[in-house]
Amino acid sequence: MGGARTAGDMVMRLQLDKKMKINEAKAYVAEKLGVTLEELVDVVTMSELREDLGIGLAHVEPCAEANMGMEAKFKIAEILDIKINSVEKFKKRAGIK
Amino acid sequence: MEKKYFTRMGDGSMVYMTEEEIKADIQLGMEDAILRGKVDPLTEEETQKLYDIVTMSGIIVGVEPGMQVVSSNDSGSDKISTKCGIPVTRDVNAMIHERVLGADSVDIGNSDYNYKTVKGIAKREATILKQALRNTTMPLFYGAMPNLGFYTKPDGPVENWAVLLPEGRIKEALQAQEDAVVHAVNDITYVAKQMADVGADGFQLDTSGAAGDADFLAALLACEKITKNNPELKVEIGAAGEFVLGMHGKLKYDDQIIAGLYPHKQVKLVEKAGASIFGAVVNTNCNMSFPWNIARVITFIKACTDVAQIPVHANAGMGVNGIPMCENLPSDVSSRADKALIEIGKVDGL
Amino acid sequence: MDKERLYEKARETIIDADETKAINIIFEAQKDGEIDLLDLLLYGFGDGNEEIGHLFDLGSLSLPELIYAAEVMRNVTDTILNLLHDDKEARKILHKGKILLATVEGDVHDIGKGIVASTLKSAGYEVIDLGCEVPAEVIVEKAIENDVDIIGTSALLTSTMLEQKKLIKILQENDMSDKFITMVGGAPCTKRWAKRIGADGYSEDAVEAVRVANELIKLKKNKSEE
Repeated sequence: MGGARTAGDMVMRLQLDKKMKINEAKAYVAEKLGVTLEELVDVVTMSELREDLGIGLAHVEPCAEANMGMEAKFKIAEILDIKINSVEKFKKRAGIK
Repeated sequence: MEKKYFTRMGDGSMVYMTEEEIKADIQLGMEDAILRGKVDPLTEEETQKLYDIVTMSGIIVGVEPGMQVVSSNDSGSDKISTKCGIPVTRDVNAMIHERVLGADSVDIGNSDYNYKTVKGIAKREATILKQALRNTTMPLFYGAMPNLGFYTKPDGPVENWAVLLPEGRIKEALQAQEDAVVHAVNDITYVAKQMADVGADGFQLDTSGAAGDADFLAALLACEKITKNNPELKVEIGAAGEFVLGMHGKLKYDDQIIAGLYPHKQVKLVEKAGASIFGAVVNTNCNMSFPWNIARVITFIKACTDVAQIPVHANAGMGVNGIPMCENLPSDVSSRADKALIEIGKVDGL
Repeated sequence: MDKERLYEKARETIIDADETKAINIIFEAQKDGEIDLLDLLLYGFGDGNEEIGHLFDLGSLSLPELIYAAEVMRNVTDTILNLLHDDKEARKILHKGKILLATVEGDVHDIGKGIVASTLKSAGYEVIDLGCEVPAEVIVEKAIENDVDIIGTSALLTSTMLEQKKLIKILQENDMSDKFITMVGGAPCTKRWAKRIGADGYSEDAVEAVRVANELIKLKKNKSEE
C-alpha cells in the first residue's frame, strides 16, 4: 500500500492490533487522520500530512526536522489510539510514564 | 489467424494461448479447486473478470484505485543479503524496505530460517530487531519456520519419521512427531518472548505445516501460548501449502483433524489459536498454465476470505498463489496474480 | 461368482487397508477356480492401490494411511505370487523396476523424498533410499552397485539443486547417461530445470512421480526391445 509513503504502515498496524480486515482498517486510519480513503493512499497528500503530524516519512530530507523511527511511533500510537509494543518497551526502559 | 495472448506456464516459461484455450484452462483450474477443496465455484462474472485480467494489455497491471492492500513478509529483511548477495545488515535492510521499497511491514529473520536454530541465538536476534525497531516507523515482525523436520535425529532429539514411515514403523513415527511438537512449541514460545521483550510488533510463523500436520499443530499451539503470555506480540501464521499434509494423520486442534484441511478450514483454526493474520497458500503447478493456476488459486482463496474473520494475506512469492516457480519473477503474470488475488480473491494483504 | 463384484470388494480392501478381508478374497477366488488371480491383482486390488494414490493427492489420506494400504497391497501381491507358484510371467508383469532415491549433498530435507519412496513402493517399485545429504559421486556408485533402473534425486533448496546438475554431468562424463534413467524433484525444481540439466524426468509430487517413473520405464523397455 506504500508503507510510510502513504499510510500502509498504519493500516497494517490495525490489522495486527485489532484484526481488522483491509477496508475496516483503512476506514479507521482515514478517520483518525481526517482524510478520505482516496487521500489515504495518495503519496502527495500523505507525505505532507505525515510531515505535519510527525508520524514518519519514507523521504526524510531534511532529516533534522523529520520525525522517524521511535519518535514517529510515539505519535502514531497517540493518533491511532493504539498501543505500540516498541513504544511501550521504550517508555518503560527510559522511565517515561 | 486467431489472436493469441501472451501468458506463462507455472514454471515461468512463455506461452501463447487463444481465448478459447484460456477460458478452458480457467474452467479446469476452478474445477480442480472445487473437487479438492469442496468449495464453491467462482461466479460467471468473476471468471470473466479473471479472463480480463489474464488478457489485459500492458506488461504490469495494477489494482483499481481504492483497492490497494498492505503487505507482510517472510524472511523479507534478509533477502537483500541472502538472495542478492549484498552484504547489508538486517536493521539496514528493514530501513531500505521502509524508505526505499515502500513496504508496509517487514520481518527480521535469520538466514537459517527456523525456530530451532534461532532458539540458541534468540537474544542476539532480538538485539538486531531492537536496533531496527529504533530506526523504523512501520511494524516489524520476527519471522522463521516451525520446521519440525529439524527436530529429528541426527540434528534433533527425536527419531526421523521420514525414515520410520517408509519402513512401516508407524507407531514410532507418530510418537516422534508428537514429541517434536512439544519441543517446537517450547522453542517458538521462548523466541517469541525474547522478541516481545524488545518491542516486536508481530511474530511470523512462516510455512507452517511444511513438515505436515504436526508442524501445523506446533504453529497453532505456539500461537495460542504467545497470544496468551505475550498479548502485545501479534501473530501471523503463514501456511505451507493448499492442504495440510497428513504426515501423522490423527492430530487434532479444537476437535478438528488437521490433516487434509484446505485454506478455508485452515483459517478457522488459525483464528481459534488467536492469530491476527493468516497467510494463505495455494501451490502453483509448474506443468499447467497461468490461467489454470490462477483460477484454481482464486477459487480456493475466495472460499477462504469468505469465511475468515481475520485478515488474510495471500503469499505472493515464488511458486505459490499463481506466481511462477522461478527465482526471478516475471512482473507480467505476478502483477496479474496480485490483481486477481485482491480484486476477486478479496485478500486483505499480500 | 460375480467377477466385477469381487474386483470391487478387492478394491475396497486396499482403500480400507483391511488385510484379513483382502486375503480372504484371494482364497475365495482361488476356491472358485474361475477367477484369474493375476487379473484380480491388477484390476481389483490394483485399482484400489491407484485410488489410494489419488486420495493421498487430494489430502484425504494421510501418509501413515497410505503406508498401511501399501503394506496390505504388498502382502496381497506376495500371497497371489505364491499361489501362482512364483509364475515368472506374473513376476515380470508385477516387477516394475528398481529405483534409487537420495536427497542431494548439503540438503537435509527428506520428508518429500520419503513420501515419494512410499508411493513408488506401493506402485510396485523396489526402492533403495540413500537418505539425505548424499554426494553425487556416492549416488552414482550405489546406482551401479545396485544395478538400478532409475536414479531419483530430491533438492528442496535453490542453493542445493545444482547438485542434481552435478550428478547428470558425472553420468554424462562417464558414458552412463543411457544406463540410468534420471528423475529430479523438490520444491524449486521444474520440468524446465530437468530439461536444462538433461534429466529424463521431473515430477511435481509423489503421485506424479509414479506416473513419470512408469512412463520412463516403459520408454526404456521399448528402446531396449528395438
